[in-house]
This record gives sequence, structure tokens and C-alpha cells, in this order.
Amino acid sequence: MTVRLTRRYGFAASHRLHSRALSDEENRRTYGKCNNPHGHGHNYEIEITVRGEVNRVTGRLVELGRLDRIAEEQILRPLRYRNLNEEVPVFRELVPTTENLAAELDRRLRSAWPEVFPEGGPVLEKLRILETERNICEINHA
Amino acid sequence: MVISKKVEFSASHICRSPALSDAENQRTYGAAANPMGHGHNYVVEVAIEGEPDPVTGMILDLKRLKDILEEKVLSVYDHRLLNREVEPFDRIVPTVENMAIDIWNRIDPYIEGRARLYSVRVHETAELSVEYRGGK
Repeated sequence: MTVRLTRRYGFAASHRLHSRALSDEENRRTYGKCNNPHGHGHNYEIEITVRGEVNRVTGRLVELGRLDRIAEEQILRPLRYRNLNEEVPVFRELVPTTENLAAELDRRLRSAWPEVFPEGGPVLEKLRILETERNICEINHA
Repeated sequence: MVISKKVEFSASHICRSPALSDAENQRTYGAAANPMGHGHNYVVEVAIEGEPDPVTGMILDLKRLKDILEEKVLSVYDHRLLNREVEPFDRIVPTVENMAIDIWNRIDPYIEGRARLYSVRVHETAELSVEYRGGK
């Protein structure tokens, strides 16, 4: 029986959307309020969806403790209460938009997956990031 | 086209397998392995797929869907201890995964006409949900 399980986590962080490749005027036009030089923050929420078979004995698709561990180690601990532009190396160059953040979190989960799930584990199908209730980005590998 | 309906029920469960040791149960289910049981306010989203009837504009009468959910799921699950009072959870662990599959099996035979059951999603908490789309 193939099922999909979705787990939701949250972290708070600050960022500023500003591209060095754009003029000040272009930055203001592209990012609006998010270009404020002093930065601003969000309560980010992320949803990780995994797909696979339900284990007949346990009735579980995945040990939630291991999913929580990979989320904590790869995403929550490194990003919680951080200034993304200043404290997360990839965003020194890359603008920390929701799109780029989703791609970075997806990459982190994928690179750590084999260590947390050495037997293969479930398929990482979807990562969804909610910057606010109205601004949501998802990467779907289905 | 897919249309979905949401219903809620409250129930208690114990996530322990007799095939596992105490330590394995604890590792697998965490706090949910407490043998005294615990409960949740579950939210079930049922999605129906099909083309709207040209006359009624509906894929399925949602009142009919509500009645099916009431009779086949809510009246069976609501305010129950799943392990003791609801089959098949006397034999399999009432994880949210198994609950999504069981709810599908309970309602699928009654979704008729131009409508097909597309998915059953069960939210156990705001942080955890499982979706089942049928099949193996």
C-alpha cells in the first residue's frame, strides 16, 4: 500500500531580498518591501512529504523520529533564528527568496537522506515552504 | 476535476505492535506507544474525481458524500478507542497510515456514478497527515 505522509515544521529567520546584479532601483522594483536594507523576518513553515509502502508490522511508512532528526539537523538547527543572508553561506551570493530557499532545503535533505535512511527509506516526494500563509513555494518530485 | 470534503472526529488509540519489543515500540512510535492510550482530533479530507454532470453541475451530490462519511466512518470512529472498538485495529496498529487506508476501504464501494474516489487524507495533528490514493 503506497501512502504519502506529510510532516510540518517551523522556524523563524530573517532575510533581505537584494541582488548585486541589479541596480538599487531595479532591486526596489523587483522585491518591493522585501528589499528594505535592514532586512525583515518570517515564521517559515515547511512541509516534507514522503512516499512509500506501509510496513506490515508497524503500520508505519517512516519512523517519525528519523524524519524529525533529518529536519532538525539539516534545516531547523542551522536556520532557526538566523539572518539567512549573513549566516547561511549559500545566501551570501544567492538571494534568499522562497524559491531559492526551497531549492537549498531540498538539496540539504537529499544529501543527508542516505545517512539517515541507509536502507533506502521512503521517497522524498515534495518539499513545501510557506514564507507566509499567502506566499508558498513547492518542489514536487512526483 | 477533483472536489474535496472535510470532516472531523475525535478518537483515542495506542500505537504498539505485539510483534515488537518494548524498546522497538518506543523507538518506532515514541510517545504514541504509551499503553494507556491517547487521543486526537482527526480531520479527514476526502477528494472525489470526475466530470460534472451537465444537468446538475455536480460530480457527486456532496450531501450524499457527507451521509456516506457519517454512516461509514464517523459513526464508527468518533469518540472510540480504535484498538478495542473499531475493526481492523484489533489486528493492525491504528497508525494514521493504516487509518487512511481503512477509511478509503470503508467508503470506496459507495462512491458511485460518474464519481471516483481520488484520495483520502487524514490529519492526525496540524503537523502530521497521511494521504492514500488507493491501489497497492
